Amino acid sequence: MISSIAFRNFRALRNTQVRLVPFNVVIGPNGSGKTSLIEAVMRLSTLSKLGLGTGEVETKLPGGPEIDVTFDEPFAGVVVHMSCVSDVRCDALRVGVRDVGRWPELQAELGTIRSYVLDHEALARVARRGDGAELGRTGDNLAAVLAHRRDHAPAAFADLTGEMLRLMPEFRELVLTELPEGGVEFGLRLIDNGLVPAAELSQGMLYLTGILALAYDPDPPRLLCIEEVDRGIHPRMLRALRDLLYRLSYPQASGVARRPVQVITTSHSPYFIDLFRDHPEEVVISHKHGRAATFSRLIDRPDLGELLRDGSLGDMWFSGILGGVPEEG
Amino acid sequence: MKVALLSESPADEAALRVLVAALLPDALQYVGPGYRARGWPNVGQVMPSVLRHLHFNTDAEALVVVVDSDDSVVHSPAHDAPGYFHPQCRMCQLRAIYRLTTRRLPPAQGRDRVVRAIGVAVPAIEAWYLCGRDATVSEAAWIEGQERGRLPYDRADLKRRVYGTDRPSLVLQTAVAVREAERHRRDPRRLENDFPGFAALAADLRRMPPRTDAR
Repeated sequence: MISSIAFRNFRALRNTQVRLVPFNVVIGPNGSGKTSLIEAVMRLSTLSKLGLGTGEVETKLPGGPEIDVTFDEPFAGVVVHMSCVSDVRCDALRVGVRDVGRWPELQAELGTIRSYVLDHEALARVARRGDGAELGRTGDNLAAVLAHRRDHAPAAFADLTGEMLRLMPEFRELVLTELPEGGVEFGLRLIDNGLVPAAELSQGMLYLTGILALAYDPDPPRLLCIEEVDRGIHPRMLRALRDLLYRLSYPQASGVARRPVQVITTSHSPYFIDLFRDHPEEVVISHKHGRAATFSRLIDRPDLGELLRDGSLGDMWFSGILGGVPEEG
Repeated sequence: MKVALLSESPADEAALRVLVAALLPDALQYVGPGYRARGWPNVGQVMPSVLRHLHFNTDAEALVVVVDSDDSVVHSPAHDAPGYFHPQCRMCQLRAIYRLTTRRLPPAQGRDRVVRAIGVAVPAIEAWYLCGRDATVSEAAWIEGQERGRLPYDRADLKRRVYGTDRPSLVLQTAVAVREAERHRRDPRRLENDFPGFAALAADLRRMPPRTDAR
């Protein structure tokens, strides 16, 4: 999908570029541009739905934010340039001229991009029964999504619940309860038959259920952004979490016949980062320099092999050797 | 015999459970939740604490530890000479950690110490799974590659050969681990021959003292 994004004057991203691969985990201190990267992707998605600006952006705001996006095959010839036309209007979208003909097809795919900041309180909420076609940004319609899957995609629902019960072996059933006035809520039935409503599930179980809903989406987007993906998850469960995310980005490796979903996620967990020792190309490090931030890729670090002889990837990151740590003092 | 396992992943642990059961001379009972380390050097970092915990707080009689060698120095018979210690060999390092940790522990839980069995998979446990299936994969082949400066395969190659992908899910890894461990369980001689890092583990396990009711 997206192969690179170049930033100029976009928040803390004054002048930097990032190359992206099918799966990307972005690590770095608070305020180092991780969320800005995701916001840029979402801006691209939003502007693509509004239609294409033509010609040069002659009224571009001098010194204003500019973002250039390039793509993988079959859209490798397309360059999208986003900029502002005034202090209050940042909706200029221009498509590079090398392959404008492919724009309509790419536009449709960009429109599917989704971004998530899952919230455990939202995930546990009662949802409106008919609101389950697509998981909301915070997961606040999770119960409706699960009900929708059960009714419209039973095979995907069975896969989801099967994996859920494997990962949470204290439960034996996912229960969806229809409420008066069109509401629906979910719960998990314990092996010993007690029912735990969503509102009483642990935060980690709610986050995991939300991620499962994304990983087992029968009609996933082409690109998925998830902030703080490891939130609430026990360190020993992080491998299962990575497997769920890889299921999206590398479906063939999981025996799933569908197109890959590009994933951009952020994390502050050294334990999660440890899991990418064998795939450093998937780790993006954001560095903070005062009020500015830049990106680098772990794979570009020439001494990475030597560093990993003496410590885990997470430990190396925490130590500061790799960068991507807060400034102190 | 009451045994605790310290491994790098749930999949490794699943394979170890099968192999240890095949090699121990006594009936087997596992202690603890399955102790886990986050790869090297974390195994060596947590091992002293695991040993002390087992010694004082449990009735475990043995700790079994298996790690990948990655590209470290491979253990050789020369390393077994009295008083010899190779600082870049993970077998030597783990044995030294065991010695240093248990040396001054007072008797507890009715026994002098928790005995140990240590194995090193060269360069990764997937090589053990390929033993008997892929003649190009052996400890000797890896050492020869190290000496030539041209390794015959790497971790990703081994994963692709074993799982068909270098991004296997834990479910797939565990299923393959158990399947291949069961194969070796029936006759571990080939694995012991081709992988001295496994033979060392097997020898440690076979040397374990039989359990007595007095303990």
